[in-house]
Amino acid sequence: MDEYVIDAKGMDVKELNRTIKRQAKEHDCLIIDNPESEHNICAGLTGEVDIIINGSAGYFVGTMVNGPKIHIKGNAGWFAGDNMTEGELIIEGTAGDGAGQGIYGGTVIVKGNTGSRTGEIMKGGTVIIGGNSGYMTGLLMMGGRLIILGDVTDDVGESIMRGTIFVLGEVKSLGKNAVMDEATSEDIDDLREILTEYGFNLSDDDYSNFKKIVNM
Amino acid sequence: MCGIAGVIYKDRKSHPIGEALTSMLESLQHRGPDSAGYALYGSLDFPENYYQLNIQVNRRKGTLDNLKSLLSQITPIFEEELIRSVGDSDVYKCKIALDEYSLLKPCIREIDELDDVRVINGSHSFEMIKDVGKVKDIAERFDVYNRMGTHGIGHTRFATESGVDRYHAHPYQSYIIPDITVVHNGQITNYWKIRDPLERKGHTFESYNDTECIVHYMADKLNQGYKLEEALDQAVIDLDGPFSILVGTPNGIGIAKDKLGLRPGVMVETDEIFAVASEEMALHDVTDSDEIEQIAPGETRAYTI
Repeated sequence: MDEYVIDAKGMDVKELNRTIKRQAKEHDCLIIDNPESEHNICAGLTGEVDIIINGSAGYFVGTMVNGPKIHIKGNAGWFAGDNMTEGELIIEGTAGDGAGQGIYGGTVIVKGNTGSRTGEIMKGGTVIIGGNSGYMTGLLMMGGRLIILGDVTDDVGESIMRGTIFVLGEVKSLGKNAVMDEATSEDIDDLREILTEYGFNLSDDDYSNFKKIVNM
Repeated sequence: MCGIAGVIYKDRKSHPIGEALTSMLESLQHRGPDSAGYALYGSLDFPENYYQLNIQVNRRKGTLDNLKSLLSQITPIFEEELIRSVGDSDVYKCKIALDEYSLLKPCIREIDELDDVRVINGSHSFEMIKDVGKVKDIAERFDVYNRMGTHGIGHTRFATESGVDRYHAHPYQSYIIPDITVVHNGQITNYWKIRDPLERKGHTFESYNDTECIVHYMADKLNQGYKLEEALDQAVIDLDGPFSILVGTPNGIGIAKDKLGLRPGVMVETDEIFAVASEEMALHDVTDSDEIEQIAPGETRAYTI
């Protein structure tokens, strides 16, 4: 694979994103060193390119992207993957509030915990949280699939309109308009397929314990 | 928007707290371009009943002389320094002695009655530095980089509800008990419901800024015997609106987030430090640890030494 390294140390985000966009046309894979938790990294990036961020990213990493596969080796701030159309965002650590908010398609994966309002107003695509998720997870969800492998706190699926939330851990409380439903064998097969694809090794018992939350 | 940051060193020893907080606040500069400030604890090593006053003085001829004349009638002046600042005023810093802490606030009130003079703060165990402008400029103006201390809190301000001037920059201080400070990101929407009972108890307010309301609220709770963690927990119940509050006391710092989690807050704890900030990038200025925790809605965290 043709790789290109960008040292982001001291770069402002406009300079960094312009460099990313320019080099993404020339290379298969960009490695970003010293991201320094800068906000808006890869904002609006389009096209098929692999991005590896060696460190943590700030707010709105991968916002409005269409196509790239972004892999963050550290944590991410609020609104990771916001309004993604297509592509992949993998966060090895934790993420702040609003991870995967408003996505239309693609996949957002947070291997650690997330803050509040994970997947709010998402319209399509898949968001997977390996750890716990905070207050009002799936707020105003309009479509897509939100999978939480840990626990969720209060008001899960608050005012959900469409889409599905799967939770393996404890659900503290449901929000308004959200109800528990029975996971079908097709749901379980779909969960097994995507979770296996992204390296989450769950037992058969785990798969049978998923709680499914939908709109009323 | 505003940025908040705080760090405390667990070994209780003196560290370059000014440099650490300046780095954190520079990382949060984008959250607040108007003004910035610090409360640096342990940076003053004063005997009992000695205090530092920071006083804003207009450059008009005679104003500083009038101030010194009044001050010398109230207290001996042991050390003094005039720091050149921006606008039409400078900051006069001096060390004074009073018979007891209860005389500090009346002393400040008496000075405030002078024309073209306003006391920014008076403190015993910490140094307050705040001004309008960018963090780097303020740090250089007040020589913050060389300040040593055990802990501190800081702020970058994006003013939303009151004037952009030196006094309204954060931190705010209460005199209900000594040396309590607060920096804050957010708005308190039940401001009068909190302020009225405090005023009925005799606590005086100097502004209509909601952060001043919080610092008196916190000091009142601590004065009632609440521990810092308990006072923060009660604040989450009593205060409405979106907020992340960071409190400084002579022996600790603590943060509280509103029940809906509408303002950010992250923290890190290592063997050496406990630190909190609005954004992760500020924590990386004081630690290499990747064990960053999101502070949950309604959660409070504190560390005391």
